[in-house]
Amino acid sequence: MEEYFQFTKELFDPTKAKDKPQPLKGIRVLDFTHFIYGPTCTGILARYGADVIKIEEPGSGDMLRLGAWWGKYWKHTNPLSHSLHLNKYFVTINLKKPKGKELVYKLAEKADVVVENLAAGTAEAWGVGYTQLREIRPDIIYLSCSTYGQYGPLRFFPGWDLLAQAAAGTITITGYPGTDKYYKLPDYLGDFYPGTLGALVILIALYYRKKTGKGQYIDLAQVETMTRLLPHFTYFSITGQELERTGNIDPAMVPAFIHKTRDGKFVALAAGTDEQFKAFCTAMGRDDLVTKYPTELERLKPENAQELNRLAQEWMSQKDAADIVDLAKKYGFPAAEVVDDYQITHEEWRRERGSVETFYDEMYREFLLPGPQALLSKSPAKVKWLCRPVGYHNRYVLKGWLGLSDKELEELEKEKVIGYWDDRPGAKPPIYYDITTDPIFNYQGDGGGTA
Amino acid sequence: MTTTKQPKEQVLIRYGGVAAAKKEREQLLASMMSPEGKPEALEDVVVIDASYANFAGIIAASFFAEFGAEVIKIEPPEGDPARRMTPFGVTANGVGIPFLMEARNKRYFTLDLRTEEGRKDFAKLAKKADIVIETFPAGQMDSWGIGYRQLSQSNPRLIYIAITPYGQYGNRAQEFAQMPDADITAQAASGLAAIIGDPDTGEEPYTWPTRAGTWMAWYMAGTQAAIGGALSLLFRELSGEGQMVDIATADSYATLAQYPVIAGNTWRKARPRLGRYDFSMCPYGVFKTKDGFVAIAAGRDNDFRALLKILNLFKREVEEEYKTISDRITDNLPRIDQLTAHLEGATTKLTTDELVTRTIKYSLKAVRSKLSGGGIPFVMKVESPGTAMKNLHWYVRKSFQQFDDPKLGKFVLPVNFAKMSQTPPRVKWVSCDIGKDNDYVRQKYLSD
Repeated sequence: MEEYFQFTKELFDPTKAKDKPQPLKGIRVLDFTHFIYGPTCTGILARYGADVIKIEEPGSGDMLRLGAWWGKYWKHTNPLSHSLHLNKYFVTINLKKPKGKELVYKLAEKADVVVENLAAGTAEAWGVGYTQLREIRPDIIYLSCSTYGQYGPLRFFPGWDLLAQAAAGTITITGYPGTDKYYKLPDYLGDFYPGTLGALVILIALYYRKKTGKGQYIDLAQVETMTRLLPHFTYFSITGQELERTGNIDPAMVPAFIHKTRDGKFVALAAGTDEQFKAFCTAMGRDDLVTKYPTELERLKPENAQELNRLAQEWMSQKDAADIVDLAKKYGFPAAEVVDDYQITHEEWRRERGSVETFYDEMYREFLLPGPQALLSKSPAKVKWLCRPVGYHNRYVLKGWLGLSDKELEELEKEKVIGYWDDRPGAKPPIYYDITTDPIFNYQGDGGGTA
Repeated sequence: MTTTKQPKEQVLIRYGGVAAAKKEREQLLASMMSPEGKPEALEDVVVIDASYANFAGIIAASFFAEFGAEVIKIEPPEGDPARRMTPFGVTANGVGIPFLMEARNKRYFTLDLRTEEGRKDFAKLAKKADIVIETFPAGQMDSWGIGYRQLSQSNPRLIYIAITPYGQYGNRAQEFAQMPDADITAQAASGLAAIIGDPDTGEEPYTWPTRAGTWMAWYMAGTQAAIGGALSLLFRELSGEGQMVDIATADSYATLAQYPVIAGNTWRKARPRLGRYDFSMCPYGVFKTKDGFVAIAAGRDNDFRALLKILNLFKREVEEEYKTISDRITDNLPRIDQLTAHLEGATTKLTTDELVTRTIKYSLKAVRSKLSGGGIPFVMKVESPGTAMKNLHWYVRKSFQQFDDPKLGKFVLPVNFAKMSQTPPRVKWVSCDIGKDNDYVRQKYLSD
């Protein structure tokens, strides 16, 4: 066993990760998304090596830059924008100007993937929809993210995370039975989850393109991705009844719940299978329960489930959290302490594993990021830079990718086709940072290079 | 399909153009996205799903199966215990509902990895596979001689996805290697449960960390595993090499939703539980109406003003007191309670439909108005799963599919979660008898 963990330690060694290749190297993404839903999707692609060009309006840029929660900024930025937008190229283009559209078409010539999360039909109306960009790049993969999808009677209904949760039924599943209080899935999970699934769908489409050379159009509806998470529809269709809320109890396993321990902490415990139940009963010193309730389906009967959960909760309330976890480890049933934000950022093992990752950025210095979606042994995720001010990569991308000259850039600036940041938090560089000497912002290389 | 026809299609046209042209685009899209006769993206991919009593693995395998991979689920003769994890013990002819839901396009093959013979067959299968998924304790497969270390010797192109509570790498993984996985413990360990529940001024147990009402952690980890697998498939196209993918379910929420790490780091403390409220915005949540509930999102200032107008509450005092987004942040709960009570006083006088109709009328006016900044409060009826799937919209989009199986009976599944013009995901069959494809798998993969 010792030997196995030595093997994995070498396999996933984070100090070697930076020299390893990336799976999406050379994939270019045009990113017309804003807020959380779309940026989550392109953020995952960027972390695994794709070149993501985030196209923003000159001035304010993405509205998320401004929306730090409780008004708490970090170095005058919304801290979330750093984990959402890492490794992206920040280019501003005013799509209302014909010259702006021309720039987008030129970028599209070199793009593999386009992602947008505007209201249904808006991208087409602006001239950057699938039908228009397909003319330029026939093998383009184009993902439209929206709440209800691009077709169907509800398509123009406005939507946010919360409304997607309302329409999918996810709001009514969390909470205690018999109350009229519904908890939504927290932290805009109705944006993060669909965005993550969007990344999976793009990867699948990229694989298909690699095999056949064909691109495609993808219509991803937030509500549909949320319904994919619920067994409630199937339950309803079989029983004719709604699957009611169960508070802190998982109704699909017995015992399975979150409860308070003797030392005032909270522990989640589950012993769903026969093996785990047996282990749990031994730990509890109640081997008699195994003969009384021998099978899973027997224990799941509501009256038995209630009794067993009650017994287990009583047992838990007389033990300390650490002791319960130790017993679980020793006997082999799942148990874990409820951890909060602070514990997540401070637990040693998460830093060791890379579940949270300290990154040193040229502009923002040290910052703690959430880890990647998956640890890959040969082609891992990498962090190259954090969020950048509005228009930071204009010169780098327009000169490097499109070969525009300084004079052409100046003209575009004068005509307000491209632009830079407004003087407001989230959009501008940090006060201490001298942008005039920044080599990327003041990119001096000439055309022909690759960004 | 179980749908009740809705009276008349209500169409909001927001960006000009003629209704007929919009209709045409709609029909064009619907025909473009139909899966009929289309190829499948992963038809050349073979996946062996050896997950045991763990839905994260089963869900990851489902995603591959929906995109056309040949997925062979391995289980011992008595079946995977996951078959018997089901809400309140409800089954379809002995098959649990979550298992039934994830039994899409899969092959079921009996193989007992506890026996020498079973492991031999497994190694043989893995030689012909592209992806292996397993959820055994870290190191268990390795000690059986069928871990990534051994399998990659005979099949260097193999992609090996391992899913456990704390991963394959590091001290924690080693210390907790023998602990099995469950959804509720992963919700607790990844930071999800800690932020659902009432503020600490309320009554117990409502103030405790609360479980999200579906297998959220397992679904998130399963999706992350599928992403790892898809990335590896792409990397294999570049390099010709397979690799190992390590998924820890205790990471799922913190890495997918990012906020726990960002908040814990910049605040240097944990966020409190806020009950029905949101962390950044108010009003943003569920409100009572005369006959049910609506979700209202009106966090931005102009949206908030518009909401006050719609509810006939627009008075200077209220408007002044809660004017900007920073006057409405949820760090001052009594103040927010007051505002919510004030709004709910008005919403409870209206039925849900009245309120939604009013908002739509208002937003149509606001969008067409030359004066910008009118704001659009986002309002939607809160549906329960049973009512949500009856909406005509999902019928048009074919988002739910009805099945009628001689053994399993009638049931509905959420399907087609993404619409794709070339290679849409689809459900071709649902059947999950133990060992139903034994002959097929033996003949195709183990006959030589």
